[in-house]
Amino acid sequence: MIKLRGVSLTYPNGTRALDDVDLEIEKGSFVFLVGHSGTGKSSLLKLMYREEVPTHGEVQVDGIRVDTLRRGRVPKLRRNIGVVFQDFKLLSHKTVWENVAFALQVTGTRTRDVMRMVPRALDLVGLSHKSRMFPSELSGGEQQRAAIARALVGNPKLLLCDEPTGNLDPSNTTEIMELLQRINLKGTTVVVATHNQAVVDRMRRRVVRLEHGRILHDDERGYYFRGLGQTAVLP
Amino acid sequence: MDWGRLRFFLSEVLTNFTRNAGMQFTAIGTVAVTIVLLGAFLYVRDTIQTFGTGVLSQIEIAVYLKDGVDDNKAQELASRLASDPRILSATYVPKAVGLKRMQTVLGRDFDTSLLTSNPLPNTYHVKVKDPDLVPAVAASIARDPLVAKTDYAADTVQKLLKVATVLGRAGIVLIALLSLSAAIVIANTIRLTVFARRREIAIMQLVGATNMYIRLPFIAEGMLAGILGAAVAIGVLALADTQIVPKLSQTLQFVTFQVNAPLLSVELLGVGAAVGLIASWLSVGRYLRT
Repeated sequence: MIKLRGVSLTYPNGTRALDDVDLEIEKGSFVFLVGHSGTGKSSLLKLMYREEVPTHGEVQVDGIRVDTLRRGRVPKLRRNIGVVFQDFKLLSHKTVWENVAFALQVTGTRTRDVMRMVPRALDLVGLSHKSRMFPSELSGGEQQRAAIARALVGNPKLLLCDEPTGNLDPSNTTEIMELLQRINLKGTTVVVATHNQAVVDRMRRRVVRLEHGRILHDDERGYYFRGLGQTAVLP
Repeated sequence: MDWGRLRFFLSEVLTNFTRNAGMQFTAIGTVAVTIVLLGAFLYVRDTIQTFGTGVLSQIEIAVYLKDGVDDNKAQELASRLASDPRILSATYVPKAVGLKRMQTVLGRDFDTSLLTSNPLPNTYHVKVKDPDLVPAVAASIARDPLVAKTDYAADTVQKLLKVATVLGRAGIVLIALLSLSAAIVIANTIRLTVFARRREIAIMQLVGATNMYIRLPFIAEGMLAGILGAAVAIGVLALADTQIVPKLSQTLQFVTFQVNAPLLSVELLGVGAAVGLIASWLSVGRYLRT
């Protein structure tokens, strides 16, 4: 699904966000990107949905060379990728329903299809009963579920989450992670950047650990800190 | 046609438009002022032009024949005049007819029976196809051996047309500058809207909306501001047309105030829409590129 080869990213201000990263993510897998803030997790995600272009190296998503993709083709790439953020990025003057529908409407989906697809996405995240509410009337967890519904409404093959639980309390965090797991079970590839140790250690999925823009380790069924599991103490 | 999509699009445009109403008001006002001036200018120019060409098309060259050229001889000249392709018509006015006409014009103020002989020469009244050719035609007729003199109301008309031309050029510069300022105001308004909607734009880009799609509502918004400004201006001009022009034509009776109002309105609306379109296109384009 995702292939990165020798990828480096240096920002215009000289910050080296990623340094010669090689990474492969299988179709249908669930991967955690972990590490302290500023280690390049977000940058890595941004390369995948082409918010950033690598300074060196190749980025491939679903068979498409993203790094050399012409600007006019970017919209089509993004329709196949759902992205979820820590701050939800919902539109406050639109209801949950309108927020989810927005993603379809602005990509020129027929109204008939919008009417069919939005309820399905809301049902998946369990927000059907709150579809007429505005984001301000929802809890943080519900807002994030609305954002996930928006990311998924177009049936993307890949879901990228950048600190999806960063603003949530532990019970909402668990809820969201369970939702992401369910989405993954339906066949969507899910990549989650997080520094929530508890979540990572509980779920026992593939863990890719970044430090200073490099991959420090990459374990199947890994822990946040290699080999320490839930007993880990923060260094 | 997918009405749901159209409704979504229109509601997006309207929400944006009303969201920064204050700024839109300024933009509409600037467009309105520009277009009122443009309209007034076109009105004056058209009036002068209609007046000038009207006068010109009526211009006749009076061709006075030499003494002693009798009616038969005058016929020779008639055939020469008829062979000139620039000439529309030539009417022969024998001196007797000329005198009668003078009598009817002057009426009782002048008793022609007091004259011992007819002082008028035999005359041709020549109409020319193209008003611009009047001086040349008059000069060439004057060279004819039978002709004493040619005469036409040259200076006044030519000056008038020169004024119209100068006015036309100065006006184009003026209008260009005014349109530019209106465009800048609209562009700034749109930039504010873009700024107010940067979250929406970011989300649109994230979920894969094309730049064209993102741009469209802003362009519609800019065009709406331009068209509304033009509509206000047309209202002002219409008011001026009913209130001021009648008074003007009372004082300037020789001028016919005449303008093709529907055509002018459509043109002004077009200008407003075009200014809005160009301004918003550039404004959003710059944002999307960065």
